[in-house]
Amino acid sequence: MEHVVFGIGVTALAGTLAAVAGAAENTESDIGSQGDPNSQVQLAPQMGYIHRIFNKAIAGEPPAYGLWCALGAGLAMGFMLLQYNPVLAIILGSALTVLVQGVYATTAYLGRIASLSKFGQPVYVDILKSMTTVTMAHAFIAIFTTVAICYLMNAALGHPFPLPLLGLVWGIALGAAGSATGNPFYGKERQYQLQKFGAGVPIAASGNIVRYAEAGQRNSLDNGWFSAKLGGPASGICFGLIVFLELWRTVIFEGIGAGWGAIIVGILLILVFTIIDRYIEVWARKTYGPYAKPEEAKS
Amino acid sequence: MTVKVEVKAGGMPHNNIMALGLIGSLVCVYLTYLNQLGNTQVFSFFGALAVVFAIVWGSNAIKVLCSYGIGTGVPSAGMMSLGSGVIAMLLATRYGIAAPIVAVIVAGIIGAILGYIANNVLSMHIPVMIRSITELAIVGALTLMGFAALATGSFTLTPLMSGAAGFSSSFIGASIIAVAFMLGGIAIQHPFNATLGPNWEQDRMLMLAAECVFLSAVMMAIISFAFVGMMAAIISLIVTVVGWVYTYMQFIALSKRDAAAWLDAKPIVEPEVA
Repeated sequence: MEHVVFGIGVTALAGTLAAVAGAAENTESDIGSQGDPNSQVQLAPQMGYIHRIFNKAIAGEPPAYGLWCALGAGLAMGFMLLQYNPVLAIILGSALTVLVQGVYATTAYLGRIASLSKFGQPVYVDILKSMTTVTMAHAFIAIFTTVAICYLMNAALGHPFPLPLLGLVWGIALGAAGSATGNPFYGKERQYQLQKFGAGVPIAASGNIVRYAEAGQRNSLDNGWFSAKLGGPASGICFGLIVFLELWRTVIFEGIGAGWGAIIVGILLILVFTIIDRYIEVWARKTYGPYAKPEEAKS
Repeated sequence: MTVKVEVKAGGMPHNNIMALGLIGSLVCVYLTYLNQLGNTQVFSFFGALAVVFAIVWGSNAIKVLCSYGIGTGVPSAGMMSLGSGVIAMLLATRYGIAAPIVAVIVAGIIGAILGYIANNVLSMHIPVMIRSITELAIVGALTLMGFAALATGSFTLTPLMSGAAGFSSSFIGASIIAVAFMLGGIAIQHPFNATLGPNWEQDRMLMLAAECVFLSAVMMAIISFAFVGMMAAIISLIVTVVGWVYTYMQFIALSKRDAAAWLDAKPIVEPEVA
C-alpha cells in the first residue's frame, strides 16, 4: 500500500512538472515561430510582407525537443556517472543544453533570413538578441522539468529505460503535445487576426501575417505574450494529462494480471478520450460552424 | 515524376564533397584507433573531426535530395539517415579494427534497400533517391561511430558496452548512443533546413554543417568526462570548442555577406511598391 501511495505522489509531481513543461515549451516554440506557424512567417517576405518576427525553424518541435531532452538527460547522466548530485546534474545538463538550443536558434534565424535576401528581408540583430534569450529561458524550464520527470520515472518508479532514452521519448512527446495543442492559437489565430474568425487562410492571404502591433511593430515577444495566455496553458494541460494518466494507470493497475491491467486501462482511456474529442468536435461544429455562406449567415 | 527545382547549383560538385567526406571521415575514425595502439585516450578528439567530414557530406546530400521539392522532408531525411545508420554501426562494432569499413558497407546495403522501397514501393520516383538514401545511411553510421569514439575513445563493441559500473554505465547501456543519435540527426538536417530559400549558398550551408557538428561535439566531449581520462576529455573539449568558435564566427560573417541588410533596432523596411 505504501508503495502505491508513494507511486501516486510521484505521479502527481510528474504531472505537475509536465504541465509546466508543456506551457513553457509552447511559449518557447511560438516565440521562435517553430512548428506549423513557421511556413507563413517564412512565406511573408516572399509575398512582400517584410516583418520583425523571429523565425527559428530547428526541425519540427518533436525532433527538436527530442534532442533537447535527450541531450539534457544525457549530460545529466554523464554528471551522475561522475558522482554529481542528481539535482545538480539535471540543472547542469539542462543549462548546457539551453546553450545548444540558443546557438541553433541563432543559426536558424540568420540562415533563413540570409537566404531570403532577394526579397529585401533584413536581419534584425535586436530581434536575434532579445528573442533568442527569451526562448532560451523558456526552453530551460521545459527541458529541466522534462528531464526531472524522466529522472523521477527512472529513480523513483523504477522504469527500466536509461535516462537519455526516457529523455528522447518524453521530449518527442512534449514537442508533439505543444505542436498539436498550442500552435493553433498562434498560427491560426494570432498570425491571422485580420481574417474573419474561422475563415481559414485563402491563397490570396498567404503570408499576410499581422506585422503591426497595438502600438508600434509586432515582434515575437508579443506573440509569446499572447501564447502564454491561452496556447501555453492548453499545451500544459495536454502534456500534464499525458504524463499523469500514463503514470497513474501504470502505478495503480500494473499489478493486475501481470501488467495486462495497465494495458487494458490504457485502451479504455484512449476510448474515453476519443468519445470526449468527438463530442467536443460535434458541439463546436454545431455552435460555430461550418463556415456558412454569406446569404445563409444573414438569415 | 517530380520536377527538380534547382534554384542554385554552384559551388563544389557533390561527387567531390562525397569523396572528401567519405575518405576524411574514415581516416579520422581510424586515427582514433591510435588510442588502442598507444594504450592512451588522447586521440579521441579525432572522432569529432570524423563527424564533421561525415555531416558536411551528409548535409550536401540532403540538399541534393531535397531540391526535388521535399520541403518538410528535410528533418525526416536526417532522422532516416541516423535511423538506418545506427543498425549498421551497432552491427559493425563487432568486427574490431574493420568496424568502420564494415559500417560503410552494411549502411550502404541498408540505405540502398530503403531507397529502393521509398522510390519503387512507396512510388516517390525521385531520380537521386536510392543514391541519396544510401549516402545518408553511410553518413549516419559514420556519425555515430565518430561520436562513440569521441565519447569513449573506441569504436568497438566491448568498450562501448562496459562502463565504470558495468553495462548500465556504458555508452550503449546508459543510452548515450540515443544522445549521439539525436545530436547527429538534428545536425545533419539543420544546415539545409536553416539555409533553404532563393538565396541559398553552398559555402554558407557547409560552414553551418561544420558549426552544428562542433557544437554537438562540445556536448559529447563534456559527456566523455564520464568515460575517458581527464586529459583526453580536456583535449577533446578544447579542440571542439575552438572548432565551434571558428565555424560560428565564419557562419555569421557569411550570413552578413548574404543578408539583404544587417539592421539593429530599426523599423520594418517596407519594399517600394513598383
